[in-house]
Amino acid sequence: MSKLVSPDGGTVPQEPSPTEETKSIDSGAPRPKRWGMLVDQRRCIGCHSCTVACKSENNVPLGYWRSWIKGLQKGVFPHVGTFFLRRLCNHCDVPPCVQVCPVQATVRREEDGVVVMYYGKCIGCGMCIAACPYDARFFNPIRRTADKCDFCVARIDQGLEPACVSACLTGALVFGDIDDPSSEISKKMASVGTEVIKPELGTKPKVFYIQADRDLMGRIKFSNDFNDEIMEYHKHIPSPDASYWKKGR
Amino acid sequence: MMEATVLYNVPHEVPWKVYIPLYFYFTGLSAGSFILSTLSTVFGIKRFKPMALPAAIISFLLLLLAPACLILDLQQPTRFWHTLVPEYFNRMSALSFGSWLLTAYPIANLIYIYYIFVKNDRVTRILGMITVPLAIFVHAYTGFAFALVRARAWWHSALMPGYFLTSALLSGIALLMVVALLVDKYRKEKLDPELFTSLRLMMVGILLVDLFWMGSFWLTLMVSTADGYASIWYALHEKLYVYGEIVAGMLVPLVLLVFPATRSSRMWLYVASLLIIGGVFLMRYSVVFIGYDIPLS
Repeated sequence: MSKLVSPDGGTVPQEPSPTEETKSIDSGAPRPKRWGMLVDQRRCIGCHSCTVACKSENNVPLGYWRSWIKGLQKGVFPHVGTFFLRRLCNHCDVPPCVQVCPVQATVRREEDGVVVMYYGKCIGCGMCIAACPYDARFFNPIRRTADKCDFCVARIDQGLEPACVSACLTGALVFGDIDDPSSEISKKMASVGTEVIKPELGTKPKVFYIQADRDLMGRIKFSNDFNDEIMEYHKHIPSPDASYWKKGR
Repeated sequence: MMEATVLYNVPHEVPWKVYIPLYFYFTGLSAGSFILSTLSTVFGIKRFKPMALPAAIISFLLLLLAPACLILDLQQPTRFWHTLVPEYFNRMSALSFGSWLLTAYPIANLIYIYYIFVKNDRVTRILGMITVPLAIFVHAYTGFAFALVRARAWWHSALMPGYFLTSALLSGIALLMVVALLVDKYRKEKLDPELFTSLRLMMVGILLVDLFWMGSFWLTLMVSTADGYASIWYALHEKLYVYGEIVAGMLVPLVLLVFPATRSSRMWLYVASLLIIGGVFLMRYSVVFIGYDIPLS
């Protein structure tokens, strides 16, 4: 492979030529992939097509979502803006849910880095739901196990892209191998600044965002009435089984 | 100030029911009474000798309740045995270790009770020495199950296992105090009054340690991340936490146990012990559910 010499003396790796790429694949075992997703919030129009596609592809029960869009409105007329954040499982490289599972019912697949669920093993203890910093997990009331986005494993194993990516109208979702420098997602990520949700936790998410709003990405929305907001916020958490705790609110 | 309104979002349900704090409470009571039982058999404090057998039996009975609560809370209760399949063991998971401890500890406990019953002091002492670490780990693992969750600031603290252990001891001693008072009332041969004094002093000491843990939690959370600050702000507005756990469960019993007019009265000892037993349950309850009250998405 030819190298470019950068001004500080280091070398900049270049994309391998197509012939080299095929040679390396023919010669040995397939290189492990690392599937990732890039969400371009500049292109997202908040149409919820991905949410609908996800629900119909994965047969998610009514009232539950594997992936969803969070919406936020800011400002006072006439200076207003509406912001969206496409939320899904972040398929962390250091997944807190895999760490806590007592029966290895959820694992990070070594071959492609996707965090998958084995529903037959899951005992439904809820520890992974408690441990996920992104609130991406929930109890599936029909299957009665923990459930979450799995990048549509059945589809990506067949070489298709996840249902949400196929459904996206504006091309805001890019799915691909982030370890392969010639994939579309790697090229795009090399040319524009990206961010992840809660990087400080060290979970190394593989879902990247372009221009996501900070008020949507954080845990708590910051404003001057921060203290009042905390007192309001818990009201948005539905907890039918723990209603005795919430009584009188 | 910038106006901002969340248009829509998907928060998920709290996955746990009241069985989870109940489970922590029962294992705590069990570990606490077991350690009290070993004070005479292992550590050789003769004063606690009459308490050894009742404490061990109470500890075993509570151990039957505790895993039942845990299994009842599962969405798939019939699959509980998956946690004991060696192939499924996850060495990163506190719950994996916990399920093995919860299997080994009741068995060890039962054998220990048998040897107290047949009055074989030497074997009891050896068995007690093996079972005490089990009792400590059975309860400490629940603290670790919380402390290792980095997602929730209210749980993610190095103090958690210690706090769980001391409040387990506290509830165990309070339960034994109630049992000892009842035994003393209805049995002909009276217990040594010194026993009550030492139990009371132990309760006072551990209550002070618990209050110290609590103060450390407050201070660190108040200058912690937004989540940590939100947790403590929310907790201090929670009536069950402030009036239930702290005032009724810790401060009132502390005053009753220290104040000379009340500490010598059997009736007030009853009241203080019962308040402590209730307060420790509320501590488990608030640890679990206030953790869920701070949204993550």
